[in-house]
Amino acid sequence: MRNAILLLALLAATYALPAAQVKGRGAPGAPVQLDVYSDYQCPACKALYERTLVPLIADYVDKGKVYLIHHEFPLPMHQHAMEAACYACAASRVGKYEQAGDVLFRTQDSWAASGNVDQTVCSILTPAEAQKVRALAKDPAIIAEVQQDIQAGRNANVSSTPTLILTHRSKQYRVPGGASYDILRRFIDQLLSQ
Amino acid sequence: MAAVFLYAAYTKLREPWLVFAMSIDAYQLLPEWAVLTLGRTIPWLELLLGLLLAAGFALRYTAAAAAILLGVFFGIMAHAYAQGLKIDCGCFGLGEPISARTLLRDGILLAACLTLVFLAMRPRDLARARHT
Repeated sequence: MRNAILLLALLAATYALPAAQVKGRGAPGAPVQLDVYSDYQCPACKALYERTLVPLIADYVDKGKVYLIHHEFPLPMHQHAMEAACYACAASRVGKYEQAGDVLFRTQDSWAASGNVDQTVCSILTPAEAQKVRALAKDPAIIAEVQQDIQAGRNANVSSTPTLILTHRSKQYRVPGGASYDILRRFIDQLLSQ
Repeated sequence: MAAVFLYAAYTKLREPWLVFAMSIDAYQLLPEWAVLTLGRTIPWLELLLGLLLAAGFALRYTAAAAAILLGVFFGIMAHAYAQGLKIDCGCFGLGEPISARTLLRDGILLAACLTLVFLAMRPRDLARARHT
């Protein structure tokens, strides 16, 4: 009886924590899926976000043609990248994942030098959201979620950022992170036309 | 050397040509029209060179063309490495970042190709005299 109660309590505690979320945008059933492994403190990832992902979201993701999934892959060489990833994941729990990612990339130069990830992310949150995110960012479940993303990346032979893996009809293509949006767009159009 | 070029062509031609075009684009050296043109043509050029090398046809010129192509690739890779670009080599498909190892490998291939050029360029009389 006591064991049953303990088991029930453990299950209740597990389900009380917000479930790990797939950080995806767009229609999950879209013909093309793009998995992006990136590091918020990586300059190439910032360039990818601003020059490629932002227009891609407008032209393809929000039109149901591409399903974009973001994976955290903070690199050890970037001192504040892990913290940034944890804050972004924590922000996802209050529905502000994209906004957090956006402010992290756009002000990367500033917080990468100062280390002030907290102030950066909380600048786009309400006071109540900021309080919750601050607590969640240190939650072992959030840290575990980031570690899961890192492990998933390693399993997919990801070793640097940004790494993009495009999937169409079960076939995967590794897309060079430095490729321009115009070339990537041509490739996606070619796949969509098949 | 023929096998190297044939394998390089195979790894590129088995994928949509735009995948190779994107790996060229990642070097951030060329305008879009050049990227698209080279993306379409280089794999076929590699295939042609591989077949000609294997057949030993016009070896002086084929080896020289192969050496020039390898020399250009090596120079661009070395430049990207020096710039600190974390990109794929693109030599034999994607998933192989530029590193000291890939530079060493391609450097050895270039040296081998230059040796082939030297051997192919030797006057035939001199080669015959040495064998008699």
